[in-house]
Amino acid sequence: MPDLYIFKAQVGMFDPVALQNQNVCIHYVQSIHYRKVDYLEAIPPFQCLDVGAVGAAAVSVRTLIPNLEMANNEFGLFRWYPIDDAQIRLFHPAGVAKWQLRWLQVPVDMNIVNRDPNLVSTEIAVWEDNRPSIEAVNGHAFALAAVRLVAIGYRFHTVNLEGDGPDANSNLVAQLKSGQQPCTHVWASGRAIGD
Amino acid sequence: MGLLVEDRIIVPGPIVNLAAAGVANAVVVFTIPVGQLVGTKSVKIHRVNLYNNASGNTQVLIGTGVAGGFAALLAALDSMNGLNDSYGPETNLIQAEAFADITAYPVALITTIDIQLEVIICG
Repeated sequence: MPDLYIFKAQVGMFDPVALQNQNVCIHYVQSIHYRKVDYLEAIPPFQCLDVGAVGAAAVSVRTLIPNLEMANNEFGLFRWYPIDDAQIRLFHPAGVAKWQLRWLQVPVDMNIVNRDPNLVSTEIAVWEDNRPSIEAVNGHAFALAAVRLVAIGYRFHTVNLEGDGPDANSNLVAQLKSGQQPCTHVWASGRAIGD
Repeated sequence: MGLLVEDRIIVPGPIVNLAAAGVANAVVVFTIPVGQLVGTKSVKIHRVNLYNNASGNTQVLIGTGVAGGFAALLAALDSMNGLNDSYGPETNLIQAEAFADITAYPVALITTIDIQLEVIICG
C-alpha cells in the first residue's frame, strides 16, 4: 500500500489520495460511498472562481464554484488559495460552514501561501456535482475589483463497489468496512456542528 | 514541507492629493483594514511615491494622527519641485509599522503634492 492519505505534506505540492485500483470511501455529509479508483489525473493550477468586485469593508454574496464540480462517478481533490486580498470563508456544501470552530469559521487569505506553502490545510474534496461555495470578506477601506481563487488538484474516476452494478463486490465492501482491506476515507463536505 | 517565510501581502494604496501644508492638515493616505472576518491587521510602509506639482522644494511627513496627535513613522522625505520622488527598499526606506490609519502632510506648499503608498499588510 503506497503511503497515501489525505492532507499529506512533503517536499513538493501534494499527492493523490489513491492510485489506480485502490479503494476509497467517500463521505458526503452523512452519506458514504465505497468506490474503487479506475482513473486519475492531475489538475494543473487554474483560476476556478472570480467572485467579482467586493466593496469596501463588505462581504460578497455566497458564491458557488461550479468550476470545481465533477462528473458522475468522479471526485476531485483540490487545494486552493486566493490571489486577491480578501478573507475567504468556505462552505461545502453551500449550507455547511467548512473549518468551523466553536466560535469562528476560519477563513483563508493570501498569506496561506507563506504560512502553509503546500496548502495542506486548504485541501478539500468534491464529490460529483456537490460543489463548494465561498464568501469573500474585504477588510479594506477600498473596493476590490476582483476576488479570484486558484485551485490545483486531482481528478479521480471511480466505480461503485456497492449495489448490484458490474463492479459491485459486497465481500470487498464488508472487508473495507471492517478494516481488513485498506481504504482511504475522503471527506467531500464540511459537517455542521452537532450533526 | 515549507518553512515559515516572509509573511506579507503587498497592497498599493490610493493616490492622495496633499493640498494643504502643516500638521493640522495631515490627511489619511492609507486606511488600516478593519472589516475583515478575524484578526488585527497592521501595515508596514514598503514604498512611497511623491509627485510634486510645482510646489517648490519641500518635505513630506508620514505618520499617524493629525495635528497634536500626529506621530511620525518616518523621518521627513524630500519632495523636489516638479519631480517624482520614489522611496522604497532600494533606497533603504524604513518599513515602519502602523496600527492606525497612515496620514501625511507637506511642510510647505505652493500648489499640491500627490502621494501614494505601497504597504505590506501584516496579520
